[in-house]
Amino acid sequence: MASTDVQDDSDDGMDAFMDKFKSQRYKNAFTDDNWEEEFNKIPMFMKTSPEEIDPKKYPELACLQSIIHDEDRSPEEQAKSLKDEGNAFFKEKNYKYAVVAYTAALNKKCGDQELNAVLLTNRAASHFHLGNMRSALNDAAAAKKIKPDHLKALVRGAQCCVELRNFSGAIQWCDEGLKSYPTDNKLIELRASADKHKRAAERDARKAKAKEKKLHGEKEALLGAIKERGIKLLQSIRSRPEGSDSEDEDERPSAGIAQLSLDSLTPVEVTGAQVFLDEQGSLHWPVLFLYPEHQQSDFISAFCENNSFTDHLSVMFGEELPPWDTDRKYHPQNLQLYFEDEEKETLYQIDPEMSLFKTLQHKRFFVKAGTPSFMVLVKDSQFCKQFLSGKKIHGLSTRIHDMKK
Amino acid sequence: MLSDAEAAELLAFLTPSTRPDVKGKATKYILGLSGSRDGCRFLRSKPDLLAALFALTSDPSVAIVKDCYHILINLSADETLHQVLVCEVQVLPVLLKNLQDPEFLFSDQISTVLSNLSRHDKTCRTVFQVLQEELGLAQLVEIFCNESFNRKARLHYLGPLLSNLTQLPEARSLLMDRDRCVIQRLLPFTQYEASVVRRGGVIGTLRNCCFDHAHHAWLLSDAVDVLPFLLLPLAGPEELTEEENEGLPVDLQYLPEDKQREADPDIRKMLLETLLLLTATKAGRLTLRQKNVYPIVRELHRWEKDVHVGAACEKLVQVLIGDEPQHGMENLMEVDIPQDVEDKLREEDAKEQQELQEEERRRREEEK
Repeated sequence: MASTDVQDDSDDGMDAFMDKFKSQRYKNAFTDDNWEEEFNKIPMFMKTSPEEIDPKKYPELACLQSIIHDEDRSPEEQAKSLKDEGNAFFKEKNYKYAVVAYTAALNKKCGDQELNAVLLTNRAASHFHLGNMRSALNDAAAAKKIKPDHLKALVRGAQCCVELRNFSGAIQWCDEGLKSYPTDNKLIELRASADKHKRAAERDARKAKAKEKKLHGEKEALLGAIKERGIKLLQSIRSRPEGSDSEDEDERPSAGIAQLSLDSLTPVEVTGAQVFLDEQGSLHWPVLFLYPEHQQSDFISAFCENNSFTDHLSVMFGEELPPWDTDRKYHPQNLQLYFEDEEKETLYQIDPEMSLFKTLQHKRFFVKAGTPSFMVLVKDSQFCKQFLSGKKIHGLSTRIHDMKK
Repeated sequence: MLSDAEAAELLAFLTPSTRPDVKGKATKYILGLSGSRDGCRFLRSKPDLLAALFALTSDPSVAIVKDCYHILINLSADETLHQVLVCEVQVLPVLLKNLQDPEFLFSDQISTVLSNLSRHDKTCRTVFQVLQEELGLAQLVEIFCNESFNRKARLHYLGPLLSNLTQLPEARSLLMDRDRCVIQRLLPFTQYEASVVRRGGVIGTLRNCCFDHAHHAWLLSDAVDVLPFLLLPLAGPEELTEEENEGLPVDLQYLPEDKQREADPDIRKMLLETLLLLTATKAGRLTLRQKNVYPIVRELHRWEKDVHVGAACEKLVQVLIGDEPQHGMENLMEVDIPQDVEDKLREEDAKEQQELQEEERRRREEEK
């Protein structure tokens, strides 16, 4: 009885409520400005679901939500509806939300292991599409633990391993799968592809190793050739160019030739030129000529050690004098060559007819930064006299004297 | 040898209810007997003794079971006992059941017995039939390839068993089931260092499979990719040029300088014969040329000391670098050879074998 009364009451109330509008205007009506926004709040007309469901803002939606996620229902049922939600997100390719839904479902810790295996596999799939291969693999492994013959989990596990470039792992996953599904095409294909990748990766590793070995052999030969000639390299770690120190860090030659580390062969300037051994066993050096008078320089990227300085100078200054030589005095026959011994602050004059080979063997010659450098002055010129005055000089005659000793 | 009365007396001891020490003495005695040819032949005439022995393979005493399995190995080594063991004693179903037990202690002995029993065509068929009824060839391969299947047995002798079984076309077609991954599982074992028996068995199996030229294209395709597995054991540490390396199957590229060749000349020869079989079809020859098989065989030939393997190298190289046969004779396995030519070829073959043997003898003397 009471209920009918209430019913009547409400109907009455409704009538009264409706009657009100005969005299006054309805205030909460949608306006031209806000109708779209208001419609969007009603679940049936929503174009997109809100990021967060605030019961105050979206009362209807919150009601629906609470029906779906009714706390009173069993964990299995709750997990199942969360799974459906996750599947819906997954279908929309909204993998992040799918992960959230599947995680919520798993957190219900329901006793249905079959369902849990599916949830884990689905979350693995979502993670896979998000590129979270580790998480995907963990989920697939967890699913496999619950249900060892869950085909989707096995395929996913193998796929994750391929993406993580763990090809042996992928093959293992496939083999486990093939035990239960010996004719599954997907597994057979995955296995073949993983196997192929694995073998290619192994080849790449072998190739890299062979290359490194060859390079190492070449370096050893080069260092050997330098050492055999008694050429001294000036170790100048400080002057090593920035950024090149990472690669060679662990490749220091053995103690015996430690002072011949290749680091000291890398030129300071990034010319790319470096001393090399040709097939006949001759060294070719990058060589720098300095002209202090004009603050000019010449760079020869490969000066064969068997050539003399005259060989180069006659080409460089033979036919045409350089434009900076305004006094036209840098004729090959007028040129004097010196190298500097920085430690003793002494200039040593050298015979231009001599080969680079012999010159580099001079007991006070140190190859700095992998590039032998020489100063070129014009004999008896004003600048030459000025430049040499006050410096310790070992002239040519002295050097010959030295040799006689 | 024992008299009939003595044999009957011995049989009386071979029952489960006999005292273990007496039973042990009896099995030990028979084990000794089975070590000789005459002993085996004697036991052949006493099927009831054999049956009693076989029943003791499920005795509670491990020592007795072990003796019985060793007796079985000895007996199965003699071909004349195969029929008795297989048909009268019916050893196969029990052996195959026990083989599937991952805890079984004597699976290695079973493998050996099975490989012995399958050596000859007639019993091989029976072994195959019972195998199919009990577990199936694919499952056998699975057990063989899973090295941790039975922690108490290594099961290497399943290799020769597979090799024997694949003499049968039915076994080959099951092994080469294109919808399953069966033969592919065997491939990694062509380089199985720990056991020459397993290696030899697998390579023998592959060679048998290559007798079916209809499968060649599939075997050489990506689905199986048999070639690298046949070539790898033949490849040595010699450094090849960059160009040669790049042309090889990836597994053979840039091999390290500590790469070892297959140590057994018989297996090397078998590998070369398998490769030669693969050159029977035009497509096969093209693939082997494309995949740069030649430099591998060239280096092997340079290194090879064994005359027979050396000759096998030469045969393969002749096909690889020779001209293609004329139209209509591209499939070397289907070429009709007239009787007179065949006779002549056989004659030459025998002559070649003789020459090789002489060469071998000569080399041995030189070494001395």
